[in-house]
Amino acid sequence: MSNEAEESCQGKKSCCGINNLALTYGALLLRVWLGVRAIQTGIEKYSGTTASSKVVDGPAGEYGLTAGDAVKNYAIENYHGVPSALMKKFEAEPMMLKFGLPLYDKILGPVLIILGVTILLGLASRTSLFLLGLLYVSLTWGLILINQNDGVAWLGTHMVLITLALMLADHNRLTILKKW
Amino acid sequence: MNQPQSSINRRSFLSKTAAGAGAGLVLGAPNILRAAEPGAADTIHVALVGFGKQGEVLFNCLKNIPGLHFQAVCDISPFNLKWGMGQVRVHQRSSAKGYADIDEMLATEKGLDAVVVATPDFWHSPHTVKCLEAGLNVYCEKMMSNTIDGARAMVHAMEKSGKLCQIGHQRRSNPRYRYVLDQLINGQKICGQIVNINGQWNRSLGSSQDIGGEKLHASTIVPTDVLNKYGFKDMHQFRNWRTYRDLSGGPISDLGAHQIDIFSWFLGVAPKSVYASGGNDYFKEREHFDNVMCIFEYDTPQGNVRAFYQVLTTTSAGGGFWESFMGTEATIKISEIASSSAIYREDGAPKWNHLVQKGYLINKPAPPKPPPSADAVQAYESKPPEGFDLPGGFNKPAHQPHLENFFAAVRGKAKLNCDARHAFESEAPIYWVNPSALSKQPIIFTPEHLSV
Repeated sequence: MSNEAEESCQGKKSCCGINNLALTYGALLLRVWLGVRAIQTGIEKYSGTTASSKVVDGPAGEYGLTAGDAVKNYAIENYHGVPSALMKKFEAEPMMLKFGLPLYDKILGPVLIILGVTILLGLASRTSLFLLGLLYVSLTWGLILINQNDGVAWLGTHMVLITLALMLADHNRLTILKKW
Repeated sequence: MNQPQSSINRRSFLSKTAAGAGAGLVLGAPNILRAAEPGAADTIHVALVGFGKQGEVLFNCLKNIPGLHFQAVCDISPFNLKWGMGQVRVHQRSSAKGYADIDEMLATEKGLDAVVVATPDFWHSPHTVKCLEAGLNVYCEKMMSNTIDGARAMVHAMEKSGKLCQIGHQRRSNPRYRYVLDQLINGQKICGQIVNINGQWNRSLGSSQDIGGEKLHASTIVPTDVLNKYGFKDMHQFRNWRTYRDLSGGPISDLGAHQIDIFSWFLGVAPKSVYASGGNDYFKEREHFDNVMCIFEYDTPQGNVRAFYQVLTTTSAGGGFWESFMGTEATIKISEIASSSAIYREDGAPKWNHLVQKGYLINKPAPPKPPPSADAVQAYESKPPEGFDLPGGFNKPAHQPHLENFFAAVRGKAKLNCDARHAFESEAPIYWVNPSALSKQPIIFTPEHLSV
């Protein structure tokens, strides 16, 4: 937004034909969306399933017959940064840095959670959004390598949202650290 | 636990096992699965006789049963004995005494309550009879014996001693089999009239090869004088006793007995005849047939039933092992492997919507319809039957429910699902399969063939 436009917004109810309050809401919604998206994606990397069985209802239950079920749980030991199916494909890629992949696998989940939290709380929002964008660029590069074009397009929509959030940074409110 | 019928108070047993479970949850350790303390009042003191492959299979189930203390292990193989004692020590954190000779074990060990026998077939009867006569309850692997007279001796010993003798036809305690028989066949009568039974155990060549090569590791070799003392000519016989006529009944008893047992159990009657064919189609040097096919005829209150059974040790084609009970209204194909089981309703039979609603069965998704075949005369084809499945399975090792039933009976809390007499009634016809195949003649059963 230019200085001229910014000045024209001061003390006015609208900016470029859009209400200031609406721009603030837009910025907040984008922050919440991107923050929640990143946090939960990171948390899911700690998820796993354990097989369970419970006695079935009805006459078969009297014989102790059980129905199998998969119960989802979260634990540190479940951690998997890069899904194992993709890991094998990445390892087979000649352009993939072999020493970098295990490191990336280790930090991906925690980084997603940390950036998600900083974006959600408004802690150096612009830098956090930028770093999240870089993280998505790295994911995009990996998916290009293994020819996962759907995933690339999917990450592209995330990049558009990050860019929009950065464009609305001046309207960002309810932040802990506005600087950066 | 010398007085199994009365020494355990039900309430104290339940409270102790519940307390064990709670502690296990808190500590994160499955202490309920630990063997019982030797001195505890509700402890059953067990001896393991035979700790080969099958002995270890049973021990891995026994470990899951609370309240057992493994007091002694007996095996003529020093390697098996050492291995078994090590397994016990790891499990119960105290050693079991080891014996090479069962007579020495029975003479030495005091306070035993039960014995689990997993020795070669030709030793089942002598070992079981000895233990019953010593006043012990016995769980013995099937086949009862390599001879029908050996099996008869076991029934006599059980009835004379008044002790429990369970034979390891483990499907008799399998909840899926019991549910199918009680609720679906006898209760809801979904099969209508059972007119035919098919059963098979097809095993690949790879799984049927002799155990052990020419060069055995020194630690696994049993001294020749010991082998000879216990009826084995050499190490090949010791490790491959299932292929020798004097030591076992061959594939029809080794594999087939499990399934032919189900035929008689489900029908509730003994067969009236058998006609068998067998041969050494691949394993030319073996004493027993490698492939056997047989037909039993049953005269049931509903009418005649023919049961075809084949055991092939030369191919696994045809879907492994299962039993299929084919009725006028439905077919129940059941196997120890749940995925090999299925239930089909015949076209025109009464609908089963009410059974599905009440939870007796669940619908099975129909397979995709194949394209019309030019080489089949469609007018002669039946409409494919509708598929259903059992509403659940069970998540324990296959032998565990049968062992649980045995020890519950030792505690006086259950009736044996397959005592020696019932096992004999089921096994007796199997002893006549090989003679029929050898003579190439059908055998019409008389009371002499099948009676104890």
